[in-house]
Amino acid sequence: MTQFTDEELKEKVQGGYIVESVDEMTDGYRKALVVQLTVQADTELMSAPAYWMAARHAPSTNTQVSAHAIIQDELAHANIAYRLLEDLGESKEHLVYGRQPHEFKHPYGFDQPLENWAELVVANGFFDRAGITLLSDVYQNTSYGPLKRALVKVDMEETFHLRHGEVWMRRLAKAGGEAREMLQRAVDWMFPMTVEWFGLPDSMKRHSGQLAYRLKGLTNDQLRQVWMSSTVPLCEQLELNAPAHWDPVKEEYVLDYPFPCRYDEAAKRWLFEEGEISWDDVFERWKARGPMNETYVESVQRSRREVARWLQEEAAA
Amino acid sequence: MREHVYDVFARKNRGDPLAHVGYVDALDDETARVYAWKTYDEENWFEMCVVRRSAIIPVNRDDGPFAGGRSEEP
Ligand SMILES: [Fe+2]
Ligand SMILES: [Fe+2]
Repeated sequence: MTQFTDEELKEKVQGGYIVESVDEMTDGYRKALVVQLTVQADTELMSAPAYWMAARHAPSTNTQVSAHAIIQDELAHANIAYRLLEDLGESKEHLVYGRQPHEFKHPYGFDQPLENWAELVVANGFFDRAGITLLSDVYQNTSYGPLKRALVKVDMEETFHLRHGEVWMRRLAKAGGEAREMLQRAVDWMFPMTVEWFGLPDSMKRHSGQLAYRLKGLTNDQLRQVWMSSTVPLCEQLELNAPAHWDPVKEEYVLDYPFPCRYDEAAKRWLFEEGEISWDDVFERWKARGPMNETYVESVQRSRREVARWLQEEAAA
Repeated sequence: MREHVYDVFARKNRGDPLAHVGYVDALDDETARVYAWKTYDEENWFEMCVVRRSAIIPVNRDDGPFAGGRSEEP
């Protein structure tokens, strides 16, 4: 097996070379891929308890079924991503069951409680849309063959999650009254939450290995624009207020609020009136994790330890 | 609780080629069948089967995705 230098590998993947095994990777490539896959796997995994706790607000047996079908998909997506990590020499057991809640790498948005049906369907409409935006870019551009193949299934199912969100957002918007009010309230905190999810603006972004190794194709700002280019028109069509608009001069979507800004977790409200904060402040908030972080991680890990203890006791007896 | 890697192959329709669609970790063949069917449920497969990775014998390369299975004891 020819071993490439980092520079050679970067050049090859920019030219369309597909990496198929860990033996072909440089240390830098492997590390960048592990970071990317860990974020992906943790996001899929933590969406499951968030959606699971929200599913109790489903208004009918049919919607219970669709909500749980989405949860089942997310668990399969997580499993697939952790399995890919295992091929790179990481331990799935450690990643899922051995880490502390704050060590998970999912976005801050999935550390928030989803407390009614409107919030669950907006999560499908906004968060799952962010997932598709990020993962379709990876699917189209990644130089890692096994990941590209695995994403065929994931993309297909995420599209269903998004449709579920859109169909229900439309339905609640049409109903008017309290349904529309709850929907608007969910949009108010979840729209800026998703905008922030895409991370540092390109003007501040340090050199990214993910682009150099062709693990993705678009920058943070480009991905944010892709997300807004479908989300803003959806909100406009449903006559929901979303704090962003199309700027025909700049030819891009522009935010109507100071970005980034502070978030009041308890009130579920963005403090636009307090003005812009620094990205260091945002990173600090992300690092501290959100209100449901421990509950969600605990719900995934708890039984594993308990049953392992039973089995150990049985083995010792 | 030692899990094995099982590769999952499926074809969508009659006449389609059997394709590698992914893999699962499972304790034994029976649970592998269930995990595969439940994990890769994105299509109404005409046929799906699983094979323990350690049973795959690579022919022309020792660094491909299926090569790792041989090191696993049976
Ligand atoms: Fe997912
Ligand atoms: Fe999803």
